[in-house]
Amino acid sequence: MASIARKNLFEDIPRFLVAQAGIMFAVSLVTIQTGILNGFTRSTALLIDQSSADLWVGSEDMLQLEVTLPMPLQNLVTARQVKGVARAEALMIRTGLWRSSSGSIEPVRIYGFDPKGQLLAANWKFISGDLAKLDAPYTVLIDRASRNTLDLQDVGNTGKIGSLPANLVGIVADTQSIASSAYIFTSLENANAYGTAGLTSSLNCRLTGDDIKCLNSFATLPDNQPTNIPPPKALSFTDPITYILVKAKPGQDLQDLKQRLAKQLSGTRVYTQAEIADKTRTYWKSRTGVGFILGLGSVVGIIVGMVVVSQILYSSVADHIKEFGTLKAMGASDWVIAGIITEQALWMAILGYLPSMALCVGLGFWTMSAKGIMILITPATAIGILGVTIIMCVGSAMFAIQKVTRVDPAIVFKA
Amino acid sequence: MADSQVNLAEPAPDADQVASTSVIADGHIHQAIVARAVSMAYQSGNERFEVLKGIDLEIKQGDIHLLMGPSGSGKTTLLSILAGILTPVTGTVHLLGAEITSMSREQLAQFRLEHIGFIFQESNLFPALTALENVEVTLKIEGVHGHSNRRQRALELLDQVKMANKANHLPRHLSGGQKQLVAIARALAGNPELIMADEPTAALDSHSGHTVVELLRTLAKEAGKTVLMVTHDPRIVDLADRIAYLEDGLLRSSS
Ligand SMILES: Nc1ncnc2c1ncn2[C@@H]1O[C@H](COP(=O)(O)OP(=O)(O)O)[C@@H](O)[C@H]1O
Ligand SMILES: [Mg+2]
Repeated sequence: MASIARKNLFEDIPRFLVAQAGIMFAVSLVTIQTGILNGFTRSTALLIDQSSADLWVGSEDMLQLEVTLPMPLQNLVTARQVKGVARAEALMIRTGLWRSSSGSIEPVRIYGFDPKGQLLAANWKFISGDLAKLDAPYTVLIDRASRNTLDLQDVGNTGKIGSLPANLVGIVADTQSIASSAYIFTSLENANAYGTAGLTSSLNCRLTGDDIKCLNSFATLPDNQPTNIPPPKALSFTDPITYILVKAKPGQDLQDLKQRLAKQLSGTRVYTQAEIADKTRTYWKSRTGVGFILGLGSVVGIIVGMVVVSQILYSSVADHIKEFGTLKAMGASDWVIAGIITEQALWMAILGYLPSMALCVGLGFWTMSAKGIMILITPATAIGILGVTIIMCVGSAMFAIQKVTRVDPAIVFKA
Repeated sequence: MADSQVNLAEPAPDADQVASTSVIADGHIHQAIVARAVSMAYQSGNERFEVLKGIDLEIKQGDIHLLMGPSGSGKTTLLSILAGILTPVTGTVHLLGAEITSMSREQLAQFRLEHIGFIFQESNLFPALTALENVEVTLKIEGVHGHSNRRQRALELLDQVKMANKANHLPRHLSGGQKQLVAIARALAGNPELIMADEPTAALDSHSGHTVVELLRTLAKEAGKTVLMVTHDPRIVDLADRIAYLEDGLLRSSS
């Protein structure tokens, strides 16, 4: 069909391209900001999503996965005796300071768990290596997103945590939170040892005259580590752990089990997997203001898009004002003419949206592989942004439509 | 549409219906256009400038009627009023028996769409659309349904103005005369009873001007359409049934 809208659009190609550039700028900005927000919030609870526990027992003061208080290992023994519990495994979270083989330092979050367990790591995707060697002293796994940060390219590479060695035995995918320090996965015993091996805050200070001379004990450790470092000591019941991951017996009502566990373990609160994931995501979204900042970027994108699109549509209509006036003189209603301009705006929306989305998906792959930053474009996001694009373009058509509906058809008689 | 006072059967109004909707006192049901005491003034700054000072005019159905007069005498203004595009300060206009001077803006647009074909000094074709598409778009606005239906009808209309062989040309590849012929085809899209033309030959050379005028005359005489044409062109005078001269805001008629 002879579509005035479409033909007018392509009549002036440079102008069309400027319009498309404006729309693509807006769409890409909105998509990337939303994608980063999605990827960010998703990543903060990836570890929880990957686990296969039914319930997580944590401190009653817990704010999010990594901000919480410890409980004694004794709790694990108690939990295992609660009726309806099929399995219970400890998860220990510590912080530490990583020293790479090249000497640079990096804060890390150390996750200690039972390598023979089934609740935390059973679903992990291994890029290289496997869980089997994690039993050995001072062996670790990392996420592929932290390879460069930790200067660990492959299995066999090493670094140090505090004064203790760390040998890489495996690399996994999709566990790392963007909001957190690099993750180090290791056994409970290793984690416990690493957690107290930092010594970064302990200074040896001496008063000499009016001066205070301080030496960081960490810095004073010899570079050449002794060849026979004792293996980490076994855990005692008073050692602190962070969570207990619980698998319920088949057919067990989770709400009942939650209550039984909470009753047995004072000072704790029990979450389902979905609840703790949600609490963690919500924390990051609301406590950091990241949503607001990225949202602000989207709004700027939409404003720029609207300015460009209204400008282009307006000038296109102004160029054809006599032709539109002629249609009005012939008796075309304002609705018909508004329809033509709206159709033009819709074409602009679609033709701007498609390449932008392709661009953003491509960019997302690149940032993921090159930077480990996820731009998560879900189908719902893609559809939502199509809606935003259409509203943006059609909304921008208002000025152009107003110009035409206000035009007096008598102008066509003026030569 | 049945509730509209402008409801007139296509293609030509049935005489009884016209008579019944007509409020013309002297019952001139053969008059396509009747203007009574039409006056018009423009305000420019504090000055009020009277262009038309009580115009009376009757144009018979099927006539080709010229409106002549010096530049600035108000010919375009009068044509716009008779076509329902401008509203006069005082006076009434009846078209095909219906009083257009009492219609709303929307009713007027609908009336023009159904009953009037326009030809302007410039063809005002959409430059991005071919001759055929320009006519098709008008058919779409006229409410003709179906793509192939419109295409066929548009080709017929172009054929009627001897432009079928240029159907797929863009306006910029057509001469001024050819564009004006396409504009006439477009004006005929709604099968209007009235054709209103404002200096349709002014921008044309004498040969294409002649073609255009011949075509308009054929339409009047063979298809029974009423043609009201503003012109300066003395060569057209021979073809007219009647000529009205506008000067100093008053009309002087002659046959
Ligand atoms: N919209 C308007 N506002 C003010 N004056 C107008 C307007 N349109 C026309 N005129 C004036 O009215 C007079 C008649 O104009 P017009 O009807 O275009 O004459 P013609 O078509 O005979 O040349 C001219 O003097 C013109 O300047
Ligand atoms: Mg004029």
